[in-house]
Amino acid sequence: MRLSRREFAAIAGAATLFGPAAARAGAPDIFVPGQNMPANLDPHQILDLGATAYALNVYDNLFRYENNPAKMQPWLVESHTMSPDGLTWDFKLHHGVKFHDGSELTADDVVYSFQRVLALGKAPAAPFLPILKPGSVSAPDPYSVRFRLERAYGPFFGTLAIVAIVNSRLLKAQEKDGDWAAGWLSSNDAGSGAYRTIPASYVPNEHVDMERFPDHFVGWNDNPKPIKTIEWRPTQVTSTRVLALLDGSLDMTDSFLPSDQVERIEKAPNAHVAKNLTMRLLVIRLNNTKPPFDNINARKCFAHAFNYRGFIDEIVKGYAQRNPAPLPNNIWGYPKDVVGYEYDLTKAKEYFQKAVAEGAPMRRPIEMHVQQPLEQTVQAGQLFQSDLATLGIDLKLVSDTFVNMTSASAKAESTPQMWIHWVSTYYVDPDNWIGQMYDSRYHGTWKASCWYKNPEVDELLGKARFLVDQEDRAPLYEKAARLVVADSPDIWIYNMVEVCGLSNRVEGFRHCPVGSGGEVRWMSLKA
Amino acid sequence: MVKFLLRRALYAIPSLFGLLIVTFVLIRVVPADPAAALAGDNATPQQVEAIRHQYGFDRSIPEQLLLYLGKVVQFDFGESQYSHRPVGLDIRQRLPATLELTIAALLIATVLGVPLGVVAGIHHNRWPDFVLRFVSVAGVAVAAFWFAIMLQLLFAMELGWLPLRGRMGSGVIAPPEITGSLVLDSLFAGRLDVFWDALRHLVLPAITLSLGGLASITRFTRAGVLETMQKDFVLYERAVGYPRRRLVWIYVLRNSVIATVTQIGLLFGALIAGAVVVESIFDWPGIGNYAVLAILTADYKVMLAVTLMIGVIYTIVNILTDLVHGLLDPRLWEQL
Repeated sequence: MRLSRREFAAIAGAATLFGPAAARAGAPDIFVPGQNMPANLDPHQILDLGATAYALNVYDNLFRYENNPAKMQPWLVESHTMSPDGLTWDFKLHHGVKFHDGSELTADDVVYSFQRVLALGKAPAAPFLPILKPGSVSAPDPYSVRFRLERAYGPFFGTLAIVAIVNSRLLKAQEKDGDWAAGWLSSNDAGSGAYRTIPASYVPNEHVDMERFPDHFVGWNDNPKPIKTIEWRPTQVTSTRVLALLDGSLDMTDSFLPSDQVERIEKAPNAHVAKNLTMRLLVIRLNNTKPPFDNINARKCFAHAFNYRGFIDEIVKGYAQRNPAPLPNNIWGYPKDVVGYEYDLTKAKEYFQKAVAEGAPMRRPIEMHVQQPLEQTVQAGQLFQSDLATLGIDLKLVSDTFVNMTSASAKAESTPQMWIHWVSTYYVDPDNWIGQMYDSRYHGTWKASCWYKNPEVDELLGKARFLVDQEDRAPLYEKAARLVVADSPDIWIYNMVEVCGLSNRVEGFRHCPVGSGGEVRWMSLKA
Repeated sequence: MVKFLLRRALYAIPSLFGLLIVTFVLIRVVPADPAAALAGDNATPQQVEAIRHQYGFDRSIPEQLLLYLGKVVQFDFGESQYSHRPVGLDIRQRLPATLELTIAALLIATVLGVPLGVVAGIHHNRWPDFVLRFVSVAGVAVAAFWFAIMLQLLFAMELGWLPLRGRMGSGVIAPPEITGSLVLDSLFAGRLDVFWDALRHLVLPAITLSLGGLASITRFTRAGVLETMQKDFVLYERAVGYPRRRLVWIYVLRNSVIATVTQIGLLFGALIAGAVVVESIFDWPGIGNYAVLAILTADYKVMLAVTLMIGVIYTIVNILTDLVHGLLDPRLWEQL
């Protein structure tokens, strides 16, 4: 067959264009995670999974959660003492800790960091607002920090890990109009962590590169082959994220993989799935101020109508543990004796009839808001819808976004009748779950969006919050949890098993419920 | 022609102004509270209230609108409430990627769609027409995300011929920016390696995005060709034995594509909107991705600026479409 010159050129062009894709495997020493990035790089403005993972690598904290179950480890702190009344906390810092610009981290930086968190007033400030004022943190000497709390506060110690310590001298030089350098730090680095950001590489929500900081104060003796560079390349769509892991262009996915994608990764020769029980509750919220959920029998009817086992076994494929109470089953303060509500349509029917007899409008359509783009919340809604239909309840699913729903939950009247969400680990303390979800002092926040009110529970949770010893606090949380479960204000479904796709070349992955294993300093890459 | 352009440009101003006001009001009346979103997951109602005040969200909507308009007329679109970067800068950085993708998709759709439409038209009710009708209906019906994943599975995963995602390979250094199109800029810079890399990254998203447009252009051209083939001048030319190929591809085609050109103009806007899905799947760093994240986080200044920008592009493309109409059929100048 003879080819014309034009045909030859076309074939040659196509052959070049469609030739084998170059460099499919990850480059040595470059680790490429693909989970969502934080909305900006300032650890005092954003507190979510992406922000926590970023801060664990670029910043240091006084204490840090490590391992699973999460344990508080002293990090920048060498030693600490607490006064008997729990009001004064003194911390001694390590000497010679270097920021990425080479200057030394001292107590002034710790004081500035807490003051900045309080002044910016964003999510990381929430646990400190009731107990710290700007002058509550002081530096008696360059290596000592003193916290003087307004009142004793149980979760205080656990929340210390939230605050990243920033370079105060660097930030003061970048402040504009008293903004605490919020604009500058949104796209820059003022940390001392194991990795330093390369600011020029940063494009919000698209990519950021980090390189190893050889002078990190912990040293690198515990990891002989540390990763040199992190190239964070988030992918928006789960299927692309998984394909990228399988084709070697990503080393790590997020930890919310759908079960079908887990099966797909497990069949692949070059990747695997790390499965770790975490502390993340899936909860269906019922607005206790709106009919029919202002009726306890209506709430119990719904609690018995959800097919927990079917959802966990078939839809989530077992990557979750049934968790029938309002705090994770692997944290202290969880009442081990609580059985909760099981899937039983006969019981649901009995409660349905009781509720109807008491005038609850059970046959009126009920709306449940599900979260886009989180498919699992839709699946839970659809499963619930089919079971409720057998009882004669018309459940309508409404697609919504998390932002809309959290905004709507500022007032009881605008809070949806039902909505579904997870409660993740911001700090490892029962207060993060039951404390903020069922104490009526938190009404108006999305965590307390069922608008539950029980004075006895309020008293128990308030008391537990302002005690210091875990031994004293645990029984209070257990008792409060039993009371809350008896009132059935919400439907607690499961405690999540995090499933994170990892390239087989990744070694040393350490899961922790705080940060979902995103701390890279422990990892290395096989050749 | 100059008078026409000036007139259309003046007409565009009130349209864009209206678009901005409607979008502003719609964004501010939906329940999403930007202050709550900004305060973050763990914030207290007091914190949300403080942020609402700090960012001026507690002012009345007309007051907020006036403040915003005052800045927009100076081309100041404000800052993203998350990245603290000027929205105008973000859009300027991302728009070229979206335009490159959209123009590539439109080129594919036009270059393939017009000839296919002609072939379907001149083989009316014969097998090429049936096949192309089936293909074009399928092209409109197939969901972009499904088609994108199929392309990824086949060409990136199975055959390994093309990259899975992104606009450029890891470690590839972009050429100096001239047009904003990586493909063109790398050619201008004489960087053939970057040119091939950029082109290979462009292929799958552009094909995905072009699918609906290809189907629609094929159908419009087919309809135009069918109509023109019935015209007297065509019958006359055929009767006198004018070469068929020349008749079809020059005279019939020229008289058939008026509706297609309008369709191409409208498609440009539709493709920019469609790019939202395609950019998300292929991690294409354009404004589609940017807009989706802004919607999910209630970053309303970004939403407003992106809407306005799409409106401006739509307006420009409409003016250009009218211009091309006039060039194809000068009689239309009178009507325009």
